[in-house]
Amino acid sequence: MANGKHAHVITPTRWTVFLRTFLPWQAWRFLAINLKMLGVIRRSHH
Amino acid sequence: MSRVVILGAGVAGHTAAAFARKWLDRGDTVTVVSPKDFYNWIPSNIWVGVGVMRADQVTFPLRPVYERAGIEFVHGAARAIHPEGTLDDPTPHVLVAPTGGMPDARVRVPYDFLINATGPQLRFDRTPGLGPDGNSHSVCTPDHATDAARAFAESVARMQRGEKQRFVVGVGHGTCTCEGAAFEYIVNLEFELRARGVRDRAEIVWLTNEYELGDFGMGGMQFNAGGYITPSSMFNASLFAERGIEWITRAHPVQVEPGRVHYETVDGTIGEQAFDFAMLLPPFSGVGLTALDRHGVDITDRLFQPNGFMKVDADYTAKPYDEWRASDWPHTYQSPAFPNIFAAGIAFAPPHAISRPYTSPSGAAIAPAPPRTGMPSAIIGKTVARSIVDIIQGRSGPLHTASMARMGAACVASAGANPFTGTAASMIVYPIVPDFERFPETGRDLAQTFGEIGLAGHWIKIILHHLFLHKARLRPGWSLIPE
Repeated sequence: MANGKHAHVITPTRWTVFLRTFLPWQAWRFLAINLKMLGVIRRSHH
Repeated sequence: MSRVVILGAGVAGHTAAAFARKWLDRGDTVTVVSPKDFYNWIPSNIWVGVGVMRADQVTFPLRPVYERAGIEFVHGAARAIHPEGTLDDPTPHVLVAPTGGMPDARVRVPYDFLINATGPQLRFDRTPGLGPDGNSHSVCTPDHATDAARAFAESVARMQRGEKQRFVVGVGHGTCTCEGAAFEYIVNLEFELRARGVRDRAEIVWLTNEYELGDFGMGGMQFNAGGYITPSSMFNASLFAERGIEWITRAHPVQVEPGRVHYETVDGTIGEQAFDFAMLLPPFSGVGLTALDRHGVDITDRLFQPNGFMKVDADYTAKPYDEWRASDWPHTYQSPAFPNIFAAGIAFAPPHAISRPYTSPSGAAIAPAPPRTGMPSAIIGKTVARSIVDIIQGRSGPLHTASMARMGAACVASAGANPFTGTAASMIVYPIVPDFERFPETGRDLAQTFGEIGLAGHWIKIILHHLFLHKARLRPGWSLIPE
């Protein structure tokens, strides 16, 4: 299925794109993602 | 004294060897058999393939590490397992073809416990013209990735001279797995083209066997995002649309000619896609080990599936796709034929596809194979080592378990390597194999399953690169780093 239009795809707002590399926000996300990963790692080791 | 032999020194085999050595007494031996005498942190091959890392930054020699740890190393490829020994000598053993030796030379490696962690055989041969010896590139090995980087640099140089270039990235066969690795490669390639100021001269196409984008051989994922349960197909399509990447889904490449890949799709469409540069992953099979009984009679089918992957404690009964259950997936990775043989990582045979399989009108299977790499491989390797050590040390109780239906995976897919402008897609999925009995809505725990794009993911990816190489080098504190 070839798709060349992207007409039915959600795309990020400029604010969302900005936040992706905004250092204070990403520092918080760094902590949050690591905590989520540690949770999954803990559940995956029996 | 017990002898533990591990075939393979990838993520699963190396992890199993390291923990077996750590937990066993010095009187017991741990031996690794591998045709490669170096370790490769494969996830970072992506960065080698776009020229932002060298091969020596993702590899290191194994011998010094094993000498320091007290692990024996046999440099060669396992060819045949003799689980009952021979009539002359009933000791179970593996016949190994030494690397660099005469073609018929074989070394006999005896074992009490065997872990098959041989990983995949890269089956470029299944699509004519596919692969580094044909007309496309790969990032499956450091050498392949280095060649891909060289060709990528040539394409960039052409664009800097004003030429346009067309890049095709994805899979080279309808039954490929590791779509996640190809996904990482395409978004890194796009990022590097922007960083080098030539993005406007590039057309980039994703060619995949996934029925929908974001399937990754796991049947896709659903995330709780913005008040909606959002499929990963939207997540991927959004990123591709944002980056100007076109896509062709549900495809089975049938031939790769110089500058052109031919494919058919699930609905029978026959298509072709021109390219100046193509990175297409190969399908996998087992490495082709054989097994013989004490009389020398071939018993390969007792240990292995026809695709060469090892049978373990999974339910391999043939059933329609909709009747499979999460509980069919293996728990202990013990061979049902020989209880002192285990498999870990890609070497074990999955009981069924996680993604719904399709067939084209011509009969070609178009079905992403289940991923068994990275985090699950390492956890399985460690779990199998723990079970074997417990048996050797006389502990009673059941074997340790690590079902992929009870295991999550944290995947950080790089989308651009720069400490300030780079990004990565951080994805967490729990469990890897959907369990619709425990999680009827999506098969997965929505409180755990998660996806996000941002710079933080890139930082995590860089930290994981150094952390896992530190762990693999068995440097101080290695065993404290989780798999």
